[in-house]
Amino acid sequence: MAKRDEQMPATRRDFLSALIKVWGVLTVVPFGTVVTKFLSPVKDSDIVRETMKVAMVSDIAENSAKIVRFNKDPVIIVHTMGGQFKAFSARCTHLGCVVQFKGDEGLPHFDCNCHGSQFDMNGKNIAGPAPRPLLPLKVTIEESSVLVTKV
Amino acid sequence: MNLPSGYSAKVYVWLNERLPLDAVKEYLSKKTVPQHKHSMWYYFGGLTLFFFVVQLVTGILLSLYYKPTPEHAYESVKLIITQVEYGWLIRSLHSWSANLMIAMLFIHMFSAFLMKAYRKPRELMWVTGVLLLFLVLGFGFTGYLLPWDTMAYFATLIGTEVPKTMPLIGSYGVGLLKGGEEIGAETLTRMYSIHIIILPLLTIVIISLHVILNQVLGSSIPVGIKEARKPLTFFPNFLYRDLISWCLGFIALLTLATMYPWSIGDKADPLASAPVGIKPEWYFLPLYQTLRIVPSSVVGINGELLVNGVVGLASLLWLMIPFVDFRSRKEQKSSIFTAIGILLILYLVAMIILASTT
Repeated sequence: MAKRDEQMPATRRDFLSALIKVWGVLTVVPFGTVVTKFLSPVKDSDIVRETMKVAMVSDIAENSAKIVRFNKDPVIIVHTMGGQFKAFSARCTHLGCVVQFKGDEGLPHFDCNCHGSQFDMNGKNIAGPAPRPLLPLKVTIEESSVLVTKV
Repeated sequence: MNLPSGYSAKVYVWLNERLPLDAVKEYLSKKTVPQHKHSMWYYFGGLTLFFFVVQLVTGILLSLYYKPTPEHAYESVKLIITQVEYGWLIRSLHSWSANLMIAMLFIHMFSAFLMKAYRKPRELMWVTGVLLLFLVLGFGFTGYLLPWDTMAYFATLIGTEVPKTMPLIGSYGVGLLKGGEEIGAETLTRMYSIHIIILPLLTIVIISLHVILNQVLGSSIPVGIKEARKPLTFFPNFLYRDLISWCLGFIALLTLATMYPWSIGDKADPLASAPVGIKPEWYFLPLYQTLRIVPSSVVGINGELLVNGVVGLASLLWLMIPFVDFRSRKEQKSSIFTAIGILLILYLVAMIILASTT
């Protein structure tokens, strides 16, 4: 009988200990999931448009560029010396900085001032650490307006 | 040790009945700090702590006026530096003490490394110290966006792009940090929350551990160095010397903050090109320069992934130094690790100089 009494508290403690562990897991796992979900960015509910009017032809002189917002992204529209309009995502393919049009230094090109990448007028990466060309977009001119369309 | 007298004695007695003050005094009176030809390096840990305290005080003051939204962040910092009485000084003290804290931390860390102060039984002092380095760099990164100027915007843009290449956790981690696909309101509030709540709480806990370990284990004497003089008692002798170094640190901080007040650039514009000459703060220049040098692909491996991998592994190794420097563990001179430390210092300095001049 005495032996059984000695064992009783240990058994009760074991049970409580196991109960607390189970409670711990049942609390931590769901709460951890809730926190993880809470921290995840809210999904963008904005409508993504395929084509957008982004500027007027008169806004961009020859051999110059303008950075505009296309949906949420910056897009660079270039009016070339030959009178052509071109559009690229303005995000450098290296680490996402917004590129700059250089029309007055040698051949026209795009510079990324963050880490020195360069892109030619077709968006091709020609210098620096950028791994890919700039993402091209389609440009159409309608009634003096510049329209950009996803490719 | 002198006992306090008069009114303060009554307070002491009252407190001593409730807290183990006598035991603490007894302990501190017995604790000593070794004196040898490298003893001067012992003061840099205290200086780092001092600048952290300045960070806390000035940070709390700045938070009274700062507004963490893209519409108001820039204007609120402008208000602080132009309209609020001594606002320019508080902000300048905050920015300069951040830089000085990181500088002192680097000196403290490399001196501890070269003196092999991480030897048994001080392994956990090293580990907590390296964790503090990561936290302090986190402070630098999260605090940098808060003024919401052009430099801050692009530095954060790059900083949050870099980890994206990490397999599995990269994109998820960046999403957690940015709170969306682009740098915006959610990024600013997350950075602010990390900067003023999460990092300070973690830092205070780890600093406490680091300091308690230092009190319990004492300062390490480098291998093969003989104590030149009688050890200095920690309380009050070493503490007074520490306080003198804090005074000098404060004078340096005040001089920098008043002679070179911290400025603010143009307001961040997500549609503006990154400005020419954009560079991060000096302590991120080695990473910046490495990213510039490493090509987009190295033997078929993505350049950023390679840099991330090497920096991640090196950081882990740095954290584990006490457990891999086997010679130091046996109280033997470990010239390989001395060479690693010197090479690392040279690399960091060279990258900072290269990035600043090109």
